[in-house]
Amino acid sequence: MKTAIKTVDLTKKFGDKTAVNHMNLEIYEGEIFGLLGVNGAGKTTTIRMLTGLSAVTDGDAYVFDLDIKKDLQKIKSLINVSTQETAVAENLTVKENLKFIADIYGISDEAAKTSMQNIISSLELGEVQNQKAKTLSGGWQRRLSIAMALITNPKIIFLDEPTLGLDVLARRELWKVVQSLKGKVTVILTTHYLEEVEALCDRIAVMTNGKIKALGTADELKKSVGKDSLEDAFVEIVEN
Amino acid sequence: MKALAFASRNMKELLRDMISYIFCLGLPIVMLIVMTLINRSIPQMEGAPQVFNIEKLTPAIAIFAMTFLMLFVCIRVSSDRSSAFLTRLYASPMKSSDFIVGYIVPFAVTGVFQTVITYFCGEMIALIVNGESLPVGYMLLSIPLLIPSIVLFIGIGIIFGTFFNAKAAPGLCSAVITAVAILGGIWMDIDTMGDGWKTVCSCLPFYHSVQYARYAMVGNFDDMLTPLLICTAFAVVIFTVSVMAFSFKMKSDKK
Repeated sequence: MKTAIKTVDLTKKFGDKTAVNHMNLEIYEGEIFGLLGVNGAGKTTTIRMLTGLSAVTDGDAYVFDLDIKKDLQKIKSLINVSTQETAVAENLTVKENLKFIADIYGISDEAAKTSMQNIISSLELGEVQNQKAKTLSGGWQRRLSIAMALITNPKIIFLDEPTLGLDVLARRELWKVVQSLKGKVTVILTTHYLEEVEALCDRIAVMTNGKIKALGTADELKKSVGKDSLEDAFVEIVEN
Repeated sequence: MKALAFASRNMKELLRDMISYIFCLGLPIVMLIVMTLINRSIPQMEGAPQVFNIEKLTPAIAIFAMTFLMLFVCIRVSSDRSSAFLTRLYASPMKSSDFIVGYIVPFAVTGVFQTVITYFCGEMIALIVNGESLPVGYMLLSIPLLIPSIVLFIGIGIIFGTFFNAKAAPGLCSAVITAVAILGGIWMDIDTMGDGWKTVCSCLPFYHSVQYARYAMVGNFDDMLTPLLICTAFAVVIFTVSVMAFSFKMKSDKK
């Protein structure tokens, strides 16, 4: 399996506080990788460093063998991100938002058109494609935000708590979208919903205090601490 | 391409906000009409300041209208900075120069359009009220000369939008709008207010902006040159500071 992301002693400090502490991790191409942890565990900081939104304090990380310290601009054209908060241009329509993102990633008009049709179809955005983003419900906005991350055909997509604040049905709809990416795009997913991780992720890393405490499939994690549910396993890993 | 895509987005955001029409176009026109009516209703004394005469009022209002442009740039930048949208763009291949160009171009185009509309209304008022046209040739010639003022106000807007949040930044812009009105000599003749006051006004760019716009309107290019050069120098400095401020903030956001 080809490595999509590799971190080598990746560290982030804010003053005296160490948010990510010598993280060593390998994520493979095409897998859906879950980052789990309580609030402040370092999940979002890890994603921010890997997407160039935060500078690395120490250590290094490689995205498809490109060094995030030296080749960030090249890396940025290979990845895309959907942040915790919905990130859309409010006065632009759904189609305009998608076209705008395609343009800033330098995608040709023709390729953008094809990609837009595919995304609108796969995320079922057709009925709202001409509506301004600010008129959409939270669920639709979140779906648009993820569509904006997919329009550039990234090799890696970072989804930071993508289903936060969504109702059960909207969440299940987004699960389908994420599942459809399996094998095609490397997905790094952070979430607090353990059933989401269990349903979607090939492998899971549990983070506490900026360090990876456990790594493996859901079954491996449960087995490692002798628990039947992922929630019990998670609590056991985090507390011990 | 990236900068133009961002500029296009910012233009759409501006054009689809009704408030921007009210402030950037409606208010200057209303002010032109109201001040002309006030000017007609007060007795004209010999030697009294003529700041409300249409050939002096029109360029002054055109400069004053640019302060609302500054307000909208400031709101755009501060709103973007406080939203996750800018975070998404920071993670994209956009460079700081793309952001700067993307913010400046749509507002500069709007500024020129706003000036054209203000001058057109000034001409209409001159024809209707005074029965005589403004010097149209000079008026057209003066429009590109106002670009340094447009750049100046956009630069101030970017600086405030960069350093202050969406709640504080518009308040600070309001203070600048008031300062421009008082210190720019839009509503009063600075020359009649004493040397001390004139010195204070001369230390800021607003008075010079209004002065050269008024000289350009009547084709007095000799007197126009000095205030134009002073305003251009201010515009270059403010614009440079705004670019540096945005780039600095972009880097510090990533720490």
